[in-house]
Amino acid sequence: MRNIFLIILFIFFIPAQLVMASAEREINIYKNIRCLVCQGQSLNDSNSDFAVDLKKVIKKKIIKKQTDQEIYKYLTERYGDWILLSPPLKKNTILLWIIPTLFAILGAIFLIKRVQLAFLNKDN
Amino acid sequence: MKKPFKISLLVSVTVISFVIFYYSLKANNKNNPNIMLNKPLPAIELTSLVNANLKQELPLINRDKYYLINIWSSWCVPCREEHPILMKLKDKIKIYGINYKDKKTNATAFLNKLGNPFYFTGSDKDGSISIEIGAYGIPETYVVNSQGLIIFKHVGPLNKKIYLRISKIIK
Repeated sequence: MRNIFLIILFIFFIPAQLVMASAEREINIYKNIRCLVCQGQSLNDSNSDFAVDLKKVIKKKIIKKQTDQEIYKYLTERYGDWILLSPPLKKNTILLWIIPTLFAILGAIFLIKRVQLAFLNKDN
Repeated sequence: MKKPFKISLLVSVTVISFVIFYYSLKANNKNNPNIMLNKPLPAIELTSLVNANLKQELPLINRDKYYLINIWSSWCVPCREEHPILMKLKDKIKIYGINYKDKKTNATAFLNKLGNPFYFTGSDKDGSISIEIGAYGIPETYVVNSQGLIIFKHVGPLNKKIYLRISKIIK
C-alpha cells in the first residue's frame, strides 16, 4: 500500500514540480525583457501584440530546452541590448555599472569617517 | 578633510553627475529598430496565404538584385494607408508579403478590393515569423539584397518620402 502511495506521489508530484519550475523560469525571463512598444513595462507586465508574440516565441524556445543565455542572445541579435531590462556589462555600459558602485564606496567612506570623528569627539 | 577640499569634491561630483545625466537625457532612444540593418535576413519559411501547400523560403541568395518584404494585415489601418505605395512599388521590385495574425477571408478580400502588390504572400498566424526577422509590429518593410542582407528597414506605414528612398536604393 505504501509503495502504491509512493508511486502515485511520484507520478503526480514530480511532473507538477517540473511544470512549476518551468513556469517560474518563463516568468523570470519575461521580467528581464523590455516590452519595446510599451512605456517602461516588462514583457511580463504587458499584453500588447508584440509582448504576446514574444512570450509565445520564448515559451517555444524553453520547450526546445534552450538555455536562458541562448534566448537572450536570440533577442539581442534582433532587438539590441535595449530589450534586456538589466544591461549587460560591455564597453559602452561600463559607466552605468561603475558609477553607482563608486557612489556607494564614497558614501561608505564618508559614513565611516563621520562615525570615527563622532567617536573621537566623544572621547575628547 | 579640509573644508575647501570637501566643497570642491562636492561641486565636481555634482557637475559630473549633471553632465552625465544631461547627455543621457539628450541621447537618442536606445531602442534602435535598425539593429538588423546590414545583417543577414534570418532564414524563414513562408506558407502561402491561399494555398497551404505552397512554401517560400527566404532569404533568396543570388536570385534578384533586391526584393522587398512587407508585414501587413487587413485589420491594420496604416497598412491600408500604405497600400497604394506598395502597388506602385510592385512594378519595380518583387514584394514578399507577410500577412500578420489575420483571417484568410479578410486578407484575400483586402487584396481583391485594393489590389495585390505581392509576388508571394505568406501567412504569419502567431506572429512568430515577424519576431524571427526582428519586427516590432505592423506595417514594417524591409529591402533585402541578393546576398540576403537587410539593407533598408522601415517601421510604420510607407509614405512618399520612403517610396523615393526605396526607389533610389533599388535603382
